[in-house]
Amino acid sequence: MSKTGRNRPDRVSQALASSRLGVPAVVFFVMSAAAPLTVVGGVITTGYAVTGITGLPLAFLAVAAVLILFSVGYVAMARHVSNAGAFYTYVTRGLGRPAGIGAAWVALLAYNMMQVGLYGGFGFIAKPLLDEWFGLDLAWWAIALVSWALVAILGVMRVDINGKILAVLLVAEIAVIVVYDASSLLNPSGGTVSYETLKPGNLFVSGLGALLVIAVTGFVGFEGAAVFAEETKNPRRTVPIATYVSVGIIAGLYALSAWAMTVATGPQNIVDTARKDGPETIFVLAGAHLGTTAVHIGHALLLTSLVAAMISFHNTIARYAFALGRERVLPAAFGRTSRRSGAPKVGSLAQSALGLLVIVVYAAAGLDPLTQLFFWAGTSGAFGVLLLITATSVAVIGFFNREPNGESAWRRQIAPGLAVLALTAMVVISVSNFSGLLGVEPTSSLRWIIPALFPLAAAIGIGWALVLKATRPDVYRSIGLGANSSIGRTGPSVLAPEAPVQPRVGAEGVR
Amino acid sequence: MLLADEFFLIAHDDTDGRRRLHGRATDLGLAGALLGELVLFQCLAIENGIVTVIDRQPPADPLAAVVLGDMLGSPQHRDIRTWLAYLSQNASENVAHRLVELGFLHREESRILWRTTVKYVPVDFAQTGWPAPRLRMSLTEGRPMDLHEMALASLIEAAGLFETVVWDGNQAAARRYLRRIVSTLPASLRELAGHVEAAVGDAVLTHRG
Repeated sequence: MSKTGRNRPDRVSQALASSRLGVPAVVFFVMSAAAPLTVVGGVITTGYAVTGITGLPLAFLAVAAVLILFSVGYVAMARHVSNAGAFYTYVTRGLGRPAGIGAAWVALLAYNMMQVGLYGGFGFIAKPLLDEWFGLDLAWWAIALVSWALVAILGVMRVDINGKILAVLLVAEIAVIVVYDASSLLNPSGGTVSYETLKPGNLFVSGLGALLVIAVTGFVGFEGAAVFAEETKNPRRTVPIATYVSVGIIAGLYALSAWAMTVATGPQNIVDTARKDGPETIFVLAGAHLGTTAVHIGHALLLTSLVAAMISFHNTIARYAFALGRERVLPAAFGRTSRRSGAPKVGSLAQSALGLLVIVVYAAAGLDPLTQLFFWAGTSGAFGVLLLITATSVAVIGFFNREPNGESAWRRQIAPGLAVLALTAMVVISVSNFSGLLGVEPTSSLRWIIPALFPLAAAIGIGWALVLKATRPDVYRSIGLGANSSIGRTGPSVLAPEAPVQPRVGAEGVR
Repeated sequence: MLLADEFFLIAHDDTDGRRRLHGRATDLGLAGALLGELVLFQCLAIENGIVTVIDRQPPADPLAAVVLGDMLGSPQHRDIRTWLAYLSQNASENVAHRLVELGFLHREESRILWRTTVKYVPVDFAQTGWPAPRLRMSLTEGRPMDLHEMALASLIEAAGLFETVVWDGNQAAARRYLRRIVSTLPASLRELAGHVEAAVGDAVLTHRG
């Protein structure tokens, strides 16, 4: 086209590259959503207390191995689809639109469970601290409502917590965890460091399924790197590396922490200690050797970590609803944003309404905020995410079968295939252990009701997709396109009625 | 007035010049309007997400000429989303500058501590206020529109400014009329609006924070 463009440095590429993300930025984003101190302080300790088994350190490593295997195909497919941050997009492109909407419903349910669970955790954990620091004696639900209001307001106004502040908090959280772990390992129970809980025998026990789901809880959010597929310096490298690095850091940190706790208490005592001290366990252990200042710092960071996780899940859900609103799968109102702030307003308000409802119901019914809200909802949500990951892995194989896109067999079939086997095994074991995960009697009907919610959500989603297919084929065609549905089809406020159906995908192939 | 000028005036308050729309959507909308100007000048065609320069003769407007020059200078970039992203980086500044030259805006600098912030304030409310009311009348009363106004309406809707323009009356009917208008747009302009809407949506989805 032009003679001048060849030899000069490419101004357009340079200008665009200046605002693009590198690996550290993406890892930071993924990790801050993972809220490490929440997992170490809340999930791991409650996990020991509820399940009564000690294989958690190995469970984190085992789950990490499976997720790395899964990620091979996941990040490969991320290069070929638009709206690459959402599992339902993969399911849509790999297994068809009805399955995709089923996955979207499962995702909304699962992420919402994890989000509202955090309110219970925050209320329970903050209650004694506010009493100790400020002499405020408040009910857990009152504290939860304050955090809820904060999330609701920030969600609609999109007053962003500065990325640098989040990064500082994240680094501080990790530093606290590492220092606490070091203290535990330097002060082992009985004077010798025990490797007992790292023996594989601890993993292959009857409660394995529960352990695996608890471990998955710690990793939720690792899929977020793919959201930035089109904003990174080098999408072919940045997203995969950021994903693997995130999973690696999370696995190492959590396995180390879970093990260090058992070293400090002695492997035989961890369950009893965790049952007695709950989320205070790590602070009780650290306080014995590091003094009260270290404990105060840890407490403060645990609270900020919980709030950061709440906001992160809240925003994820609001964006999911936004993408579905743009596709008109949810009402079009979900696809509009607040004009001034650009926040996905309707999705944000809907999520807040649900959060309020759950807090009120739990408070009114007098249910336990820690085990019955934080832990049940959190781990059940993680089970839902495990189902999504499994479906996504199948979808990766389906997608590459039809469109190999020049990817290697390892990425298209072998790694995703092995991941499907491992993930399916995890799902089967988890379902069989669900009573252990919840800490209820094996005869309790909850062990079936809670896992059954997800297939139910999927069935409703599939049914809705079939209704759309029959009544609004234009909407049906754009399922899975997310924001790009505007160039995929006709419809209200959609501006390109006869435009081609494969917008970004076609354009990306050219790049 | 050119397409991006009118988009700018609608996207900002007509008295104090403050934004009516969030930053990324404003920038992407303006970038779309700059590309729309080239389409209206018949310099550019958009098909299947690919931009093609069909007339290399620079248009009379200096900013439009610069945009066309950029495109001629980087022929390896043809994805419309690349151009929307690239142009959005400086679109606000460039279009505001053009409106200053035309005498519609004036530049105001204010210093808060060590930071200098630049604001563009309308010179004369009566003069600058008109694109929004005119568009509102056209949409709510179903008046016939020329190609320029149709392109403006489609970009306004794509960026999420529809409710700012049609703030009263029957929004549903106005939207229906807009949809009919849009369906009669030439393919390049229709696709442009669709890509602006998609880019704005993607910006919401990939927002960090």
